[in-house]
Amino acid sequence: MDLNYTAEDKAFRQQVRRWLEENIPKKRPETLDERRAWHRKLYEAGYLGMGWPKEYGGQEARPMEQAIVGEELARANAPVSLNGLGIGIVAPTLIHHGTEHQKRNHVSKILTAEELWCQLYSEPNSGSDLASLQCRADVDGDEFVINGQKIWTSGAVIADWGILLARTDRSAPKHQGISCLMLDMHQPGVEVRPLKQISGSSEFCEVFFTNVRVNADNLIGEMNAGWRIAQTTLSYERGGNVLSRVVRLQEMYDRMIAVCKALKRNGKPAIEDPNVRQKLGEIYAEIEVLRYSALRLLSRLEKGQRPGPEASISKLHYSELDKHVQELFLDILGPYGLQTGGLPPEYALHADSDFGEAGSWAYSFFWSRAGTIYAGSSEIQKNILGERVLGLPKEVREDRIALAQKAAAGD
Amino acid sequence: MDFDFTEDQVMLRGLVREFLTEQAPVAHVRAMMDDERGYDPDIYRRFVQLGMLPFPEEYGGAGLGMVEQAIILEEMGRIPYPGPYFATVILAGSAIMASGDEQAMARYLPDVCNGDLTMTLAFLEDSIGWGPGEIALAAKKDGDAYVLNGIKRFVPFGHTADVILVAARTGSSGAKGISLIAVPRDAAGLRIDKDVISDLTEKSATLHFDKVRAPAENLLGAEGGAWPALETMLQHAAVGASAEMLGASRKSLEMSTDYAKVRKQFGQFIGQFQAVKHKLSEMLVAVENAHAATYYAAWALDADAPDAALAASVAKSFVNGASRKVCGEAIQVHGGIGFTWEYDLHLYFKRAKYFEPMYGDLEEHRERVLQEVLAGHISG
Repeated sequence: MDLNYTAEDKAFRQQVRRWLEENIPKKRPETLDERRAWHRKLYEAGYLGMGWPKEYGGQEARPMEQAIVGEELARANAPVSLNGLGIGIVAPTLIHHGTEHQKRNHVSKILTAEELWCQLYSEPNSGSDLASLQCRADVDGDEFVINGQKIWTSGAVIADWGILLARTDRSAPKHQGISCLMLDMHQPGVEVRPLKQISGSSEFCEVFFTNVRVNADNLIGEMNAGWRIAQTTLSYERGGNVLSRVVRLQEMYDRMIAVCKALKRNGKPAIEDPNVRQKLGEIYAEIEVLRYSALRLLSRLEKGQRPGPEASISKLHYSELDKHVQELFLDILGPYGLQTGGLPPEYALHADSDFGEAGSWAYSFFWSRAGTIYAGSSEIQKNILGERVLGLPKEVREDRIALAQKAAAGD
Repeated sequence: MDFDFTEDQVMLRGLVREFLTEQAPVAHVRAMMDDERGYDPDIYRRFVQLGMLPFPEEYGGAGLGMVEQAIILEEMGRIPYPGPYFATVILAGSAIMASGDEQAMARYLPDVCNGDLTMTLAFLEDSIGWGPGEIALAAKKDGDAYVLNGIKRFVPFGHTADVILVAARTGSSGAKGISLIAVPRDAAGLRIDKDVISDLTEKSATLHFDKVRAPAENLLGAEGGAWPALETMLQHAAVGASAEMLGASRKSLEMSTDYAKVRKQFGQFIGQFQAVKHKLSEMLVAVENAHAATYYAAWALDADAPDAALAASVAKSFVNGASRKVCGEAIQVHGGIGFTWEYDLHLYFKRAKYFEPMYGDLEEHRERVLQEVLAGHISG
């Protein structure tokens, strides 16, 4: 056991920190062009797709270096990169499962944000039970014809391409009749409608497909192998980047300490109130434990071990913790915590009004509710942990009974 | 950066587990619950002689760090091992080392390392906090001796320890007037009453000091200068307690998981029901996080990291909560059988519970976390 950073890691951190000091735009990027320009800058510095093979534009960087970049971006409050889903999920999926043609055509464009991507998985009737999805892709000659609806699609409004799960065999058991496809979002028959979220913003969309035609060479992996591919994709979503979440929470915590020195409760600075102090002690301890666990995960990644179902421990931990911590923050702030605008600067999450609504404590609080739903809800994670880590027997489910009966009947 | 154990540490754990499961099976544990002394001195001696101690080699120790001691204590928590290892090594041992008093080291440690001498440390009094203001037992210099008057409560293995290190007040109130004085168990004027507590594997005693005379050379370090050593001792004790609670928790999780795989109700294994499965998954997350918190803190103490005190308090506050949840839910998963004396689950529940208030409870450590953060003593 040695939890020190090496001299090399420390030097790399300094290098990243210096680069960020010099390059973070003075004005926060808002328009698509501004955001694309910032994304491009990160790419040119080598801070995107760092772990990928060099032949696809990556750096083959160690997990430690990726973690350091993630931490320093969060520490500097840097604007998020534009193509998060493309970089985090689509490109790794293509690198693992795609054809050489698909990799050549898309991976580098994802990296440069020339192509923005979205993930078309959930449907109105298929959330946690994703494998029950109904959106269909029917083979017609050397094309697929897509019909159906997707929902909770982040960034679909600006996406150029989407990675889609659709049913390609309606007679097969539900997990075995799904394929993974890519499709151009700017084609006839694709309709995108934004959805307003609990936070008031609209990152989410509904997407409708009406006789959308896609060439067969857009199939990722084998026909009807989409479920397995989606599993690997989801594990990217679950495993990664815990340390940057830790830093984001630490930054919020430091700000909360400053606020508690200014904010008064019962006639005294909040920082002197025993109840507030208990909460502040609890929050810091919780964030530290998340950091320790993330270091443990990182040290395994450094040795080339890939987290399997254990990734669910991390996902469940950080998403539930975020909810709890954001609630405690709001408790401390009282009614100020509910203000989504117009907070006195000395109480605001970011004294700099540049952040607008996204800079309020309430906005972070609302967003914390998403974390225990997306990428597999907490309940799904607990099923995975129970069945695949603890080895508990599978639950009795209608669909499994039906499948077993079908098999027994010799269908 | 490596959070995994070294090969030597893995071997150490294997050795401890093998020794304890063979020498201290549950039948032995239960026998010791009813035993006046509460442990088997022969087993204790043989365990210590395997090289299970910190302390420099010149005194016969194996130079183990806190990570290794946490491994040993985690294994003890899963038994739960009845004996004075924690009292002797973590309490008295770390206080002696932290006092920097080489005469005391030479006087006590060789016998401790042989397994011939057991020790403990008396801290708590009528007021049950863990700060310097709680130490009131008076020690007055009289010629070439100190005269001790007062009470010490909940002294671990205080009824069997050969030597008791007493945190006593020799001067002004606050942190500056506290001294550590060694008192033999058979000193005149010392009355020892065994406590009756729920964890029968962790014996403790109330010590009444009535004009107990201790020779002046029994003072550790400088008069009035013991608080820093006691603070260090408390950090080690907080991490050691976390390790014991972690061991009890992991054992409770394993028993509950095994039970949920074989117990049937409504024609199904209860582990198939999400109500039970999800509980067990939450227990797993709590145990893994308790592991990370305990061993990070142990490493930070060994490395003398700037956040060592912070990490010790993070660990104790977090593991208190985690073990309460895990060992408690284990009883819930088991249902009625988990509530019986005959079934072993309560042994781990009580071991974890024993350590909850000791060496700082959840609230005390949360307050300490905040103090360390505000003082800027955070990771580098």
